[in-house]
Amino acid sequence: MTPDPDEREELRRQFAVFAETREPALREELVNAHLGLAEYLARRFANRGEPLDDLIQVASIGLVKAVDRFDPERAVEFSTYATHTIVGELKRHFRDKGWAVRAPRRLQELYLRLGQVISTLSQTLGRSPTISELAEEVQASEEEVLEALEAGQAYRFASLDAPAPGPDDEGSATLASQLGEDDPTMMAAEDRAALGPLLEHLPPREQRILFLRFFQGMTQSEIASQLGISQMHVSRLLARSLAQLRSVAAES
Amino acid sequence: MADKDEVRLVVPASPEFVRLARVTASGLASRLGFSYDEIEDLRLAVDELCYAVIGPAGRPGALTVRFFIREGGLEVEGTGHFDPGGPPVGLSDLSHQILTALVDSHDVRADLDGQPSVWLRKRGRAAEAG
Repeated sequence: MTPDPDEREELRRQFAVFAETREPALREELVNAHLGLAEYLARRFANRGEPLDDLIQVASIGLVKAVDRFDPERAVEFSTYATHTIVGELKRHFRDKGWAVRAPRRLQELYLRLGQVISTLSQTLGRSPTISELAEEVQASEEEVLEALEAGQAYRFASLDAPAPGPDDEGSATLASQLGEDDPTMMAAEDRAALGPLLEHLPPREQRILFLRFFQGMTQSEIASQLGISQMHVSRLLARSLAQLRSVAAES
Repeated sequence: MADKDEVRLVVPASPEFVRLARVTASGLASRLGFSYDEIEDLRLAVDELCYAVIGPAGRPGALTVRFFIREGGLEVEGTGHFDPGGPPVGLSDLSHQILTALVDSHDVRADLDGQPSVWLRKRGRAAEAG
């Protein structure tokens, strides 16, 4: 986390160049060099009922903002500045999450356990499990399972999950989508065109998931296995993407 | 649950109450034996339906959501109660596409008083197989 003096000097030089040129490749390099810091801070906020991958994504968006806003003229180390920005972003994320975060800890834990159980049961059964099967497996009532699934969802739009629209944000969108455990396969140009201009507000991975579910008719479980992520994650990304699209629509 | 049972929910036409419609829908679908996959799809569809009626940011007035259990499937109908002269209610091309993928059928109607109404129907495959 603390670079040696040579590295520190090199970073300072790079930030000075970036402040001048705003060169996207350099921006990406600076962001990549500090991803460890973002992940480290995200982990400090784990175990509060929010999935770690979401937190890392939020922290990374904070990092991108820090890189963009950092003024190398000021007598403060970038890592100090970035820590403030990233922690601020994470705190705001929790504040914006609303009900999901206020949900009882018991439900949050149940939600995280259900993620595992859904994968395991889908494999054993060869189909998507019913709620009563899930309830039996986790030894909870059906109502609790349903409440947990609802509580864990990101239906409420947390504004900072979203990359700000515009070409300037390409870097962070790409970054965020690369951070997951997924395959960032790009979509064909004609498929992207079919989605319409609204979807350009979403990161490429989310665009792809929306395309597969709503235009290709793949089920959530099929998408999960194709992208190598959990089905619960697919479900959460779908809900969040649609909420983001609505929020864009509401602003326009 | 008997066939054609009806559950009715009346809430302010505002985004924070859409959750109640989702929770009600998933509770009923669970009782009908819907799978996890189907219930997650239904939640998204109920969101789409409610927001189609109230608009992305909500509006003054009320939203009635009626749930019907019919032939092993669930029908959901959302109707707005708004002052005349507000923005028209309808499904965007994208919302239409989304609902086509998520549910078996859907429709936009106007009720007898000319109030906007969106309807959808989803059957549970797991329930049919079992």
